[in-house]
Amino acid sequence: MKNSLFAKTFAALILSSFLVLSAGTANAKRLTAAVADWTGGELTCQVAVAILEEELGYRVDRIEFASGTGLWEAIAAGDIDFACESWPSYAEADDVMVNMNLVYDGEVVKEYSGDGSVDAYTSGIIGMSDYYVPKYFVDANPDFKDWSDLNKYKDQFATPETGSKGRLIGCPVAGWNCHDQKRLDLLGIDFEASELGTEVAALAEAQGAYDRGEAFLLYLWEPHFFFGKNEMVGVKLPAYKYCDSFTEANNWQDCGTAAWPATGWDKDYTMNYMNPEVMSKPENAEAVAFFKKMAFSNTDQAKMLVRVGDDGLSVEEAVAEWKNSTDEWKAWLP
Amino acid sequence: MALTQDTSLLSSKSSTQSLIIPGLIFAAILASIWLAFQGEDVSEFPVFITDAFTFTAWVNAGEDFLKDNIKVYTRMVAGYVKDLYWMLEDFLLDSSWVFIAALLLIPSLAFGGIKLGFLVLFGTMYWGMVGLWDSAMETLALMGLSVFLSVAVGVILGIFCALSDRFERNMKPALDIMQVMPAFVYLIPAMFFFGIGGAPAILATMIYSMPPIIRLTNLGIRQVPNETVETATAFGSSKSQILFKVQIPLALPSIMMGVNQTIMMALALVVLATFIGAQGLGSDIWVSIKKLEVGAALEGGICVLLMAIMFDRFGKAASRETVTLPSDSQKFYLLPQTWDIYPIARQVEKPLQLIHFAFAFVFSSVIRIFSFILNSVISLFNKDYGSAIAQFINAHYFFFSGLLILIGIVYYDANVAAIGTFPEAWNLSIREEISAGVKSLVVNDTFISITKTIRSTVVIYLLRPFDFYLTYLPYWFTIGALVLISWKSVGIRFAIITAILLAFIGACNIWTEAMITLSSVLISVLLCFVIGVPIGILASYSKRFQNINEVILDAMQTLPYFCYLVPVLMFFGGGAFSALLATIIYSIPPIIRLTVLGLSQVSSTYSEVSKSFGGTTIQTLNKIKFPLAVPSLVMGFNQTVMMAFAMQIVTPLIGGKGLGLEVFNGLARSDTGRALAAGIGICLLAMIIDRISLAWTKKQRDALGL
Repeated sequence: MKNSLFAKTFAALILSSFLVLSAGTANAKRLTAAVADWTGGELTCQVAVAILEEELGYRVDRIEFASGTGLWEAIAAGDIDFACESWPSYAEADDVMVNMNLVYDGEVVKEYSGDGSVDAYTSGIIGMSDYYVPKYFVDANPDFKDWSDLNKYKDQFATPETGSKGRLIGCPVAGWNCHDQKRLDLLGIDFEASELGTEVAALAEAQGAYDRGEAFLLYLWEPHFFFGKNEMVGVKLPAYKYCDSFTEANNWQDCGTAAWPATGWDKDYTMNYMNPEVMSKPENAEAVAFFKKMAFSNTDQAKMLVRVGDDGLSVEEAVAEWKNSTDEWKAWLP
Repeated sequence: MALTQDTSLLSSKSSTQSLIIPGLIFAAILASIWLAFQGEDVSEFPVFITDAFTFTAWVNAGEDFLKDNIKVYTRMVAGYVKDLYWMLEDFLLDSSWVFIAALLLIPSLAFGGIKLGFLVLFGTMYWGMVGLWDSAMETLALMGLSVFLSVAVGVILGIFCALSDRFERNMKPALDIMQVMPAFVYLIPAMFFFGIGGAPAILATMIYSMPPIIRLTNLGIRQVPNETVETATAFGSSKSQILFKVQIPLALPSIMMGVNQTIMMALALVVLATFIGAQGLGSDIWVSIKKLEVGAALEGGICVLLMAIMFDRFGKAASRETVTLPSDSQKFYLLPQTWDIYPIARQVEKPLQLIHFAFAFVFSSVIRIFSFILNSVISLFNKDYGSAIAQFINAHYFFFSGLLILIGIVYYDANVAAIGTFPEAWNLSIREEISAGVKSLVVNDTFISITKTIRSTVVIYLLRPFDFYLTYLPYWFTIGALVLISWKSVGIRFAIITAILLAFIGACNIWTEAMITLSSVLISVLLCFVIGVPIGILASYSKRFQNINEVILDAMQTLPYFCYLVPVLMFFGGGAFSALLATIIYSIPPIIRLTVLGLSQVSSTYSEVSKSFGGTTIQTLNKIKFPLAVPSLVMGFNQTVMMAFAMQIVTPLIGGKGLGLEVFNGLARSDTGRALAAGIGICLLAMIIDRISLAWTKKQRDALGL
């Protein structure tokens, strides 16, 4: 008897909670965002999310999802509504999926003619990527001019894992499509690229080497907080050139040393990208208007990066601090 | 080493018979080492086979086909689930934290008494205090919905199983497979069919956590004595009456046990589902791991652990027959009843008793007044109804007072002052202190030199040579050896299956990755033995040690498995060694448990006899207890291997290589075929080793006449 009493109690409590639930307010303005897997991208995304949530009244679900082609497909399929700060020369899906012009500061910076399953607007951040060596290494070896001299010094870059080859602390995440090893091989650089899984792991490795004064070759991009504490020099990879056969459909036919990936990266007008179907819903018009106007600047991101990377603030705290200290973002509101 | 591991087990068995077989095995190992050194490069399947067998392309083509045909429907299902999930999540997030805490606390008090109440209070406060309230609510929503759906569907399927022998026969193999598969495997197809986020997480969790509830419902109904059913039939009950009035009520304890297991399994997978974009505590832990933030990851892990313990205890309390509310003054609320003899314990319990009585008095009086008023009002119309309702309310005073509190909170929140989110001032997070502590340890020279020595020793003398051995050893030799072992231990049919499965792995062009995975699994298992068996022996001799051990092992098995990456990251950073270490920590509990079990199960008569013949403790252990405990040890080996395989899927997060990394790369490049091939590869290897060791256990048991 008593047992059934408690069973009923429990059932009734659940029932009553559902009653309250149905009376609760359901939020129609709801979006799903993918959180980027590097600090700069996280900041850009958090800026967008903070404005959408605090100023425009959305609830944004933030999903941890590795960036790469998989993310583009997830957005095209409608599983995720938007993602932030994609770098065009890394993205392989943008040519296939975007069908619109990328506009930065009133000028068309890139034209796309894909199938239109994803829409993209510039975020304001302009990225540059290269391979870097510490400045003390260049000072000690004045003969070292650029990437073509790397082989001469490969012994200094070697580690027990790479044996006689030098080591590149490469692009940490597979989905970023950096093609590090391919680039090294094409350019005839006798180095091995090691992929450490996360940005933080790669930087921890680099910071350790820097503190010990060792020679190391590091893939990195600007803006990044690593440059704040450590003096680094780019190896000036060959200028970016597009290779139209280097795609999955063509089974990754490279263009030899003539073009990507035997070159450095393009100057990247980064973009926020989203599902057009979801964004065309009337309740999301404000969000689209915001994305069209958003122009987050490199200087702001660089400052926030230092707050996160060196001062130990969380991404949310850094964005809140920035949002309270400036009115810049008010111009992006619809 | 795959060979030496297995062959050494084989040889110990056959050494009593002759020396020829061990000699042959030894020669085979020598030959294999020689062969491994002959290879110029890692051993790969011939190109003409891998080129012809384009499994990944077929999968991707199949995916496109499914995308066009089936996906519409699966997405529709996912859409409904997503709406439900959002509703529940909105409710949990929008309600004031006090309301949610009370909603969790009141049933716990009702079922588990003050002890469980304290636990739940501590748990919910902890979520808030470390600033993970929202994430905890998301995990709660995911878990609540998956458990609800699993139980609803599972009980129905269980009833079908119980009613139809044919249905049960068809269901059984499916359930077996569902339980053997490592949890992660469910996530990839779930993502494919149901998308990303909460809905696929819930649906994958349903599939994963349903087997226990189906099995136990089936079992519970089938265990209802035939006489009872016949009596009911004799009294003219219809079939459905028998089912709903006799069989299901009698099966209820069994069903509740299934619910409890389902809850635990659901929690494990819901946390893991962060890999397909589900939010909640798992996602927080993952982010912290990615940023090498040890303190935050640890706090997230503790939140999950508390949630698991809360639900486990609650489930156990709810399915218990008797009520645990201490009804008489003899009982203690918090401390063990056996402490009755200590005056200080009675002193501690006194105020609790008073509080309990005070609360009970206040609530029952309020409810009495309430029911009295209701009674008098309704009695104006109908006297019978009035007294019946009043009686009902009085009998359920706990429920109604709980409801009153909840309504009170909602009213207060809406009309007096908004309670809102968990007060930030109550933050008691120590993540920065933990991180700082770890950092200070990490820059400590002595500590660094110790960890570095361990790391380089294991890598240089164990990991790298063994990786080299397995990857350079020609594939035909490895396949041949494994097929031979399966033939000898299981039988000719399984040997053929083994050959086909291994050929599949090779043809998918992931042989090298598979060998790296095999190597790290076998090395982890070896180290598990080296560390775990002595701990087990110690525990089997000391009761107190065993008690502490049990608590730790329980905690270890409730934590989601990628939490094990955290402590390793703390001290060893990323890399292959850390991956190995995380695998060991995760998969060591069964070997410890089963060593203890094996040793303590040995009938005391045997040890008495040994002692009376003048055997020392060591001799008794070596010559009597160990040989008799072997089946148990092999069982531990089997479980440890399975857990080590499961761990391979998450170790790439901290630098693990092999098939797990292939899964990640495939997912990142949206190459379902590649991810699937690697995922299947892990399962196939696990299955082969599982069958071999199970068969071997059976042989040992038979040989010992157990």
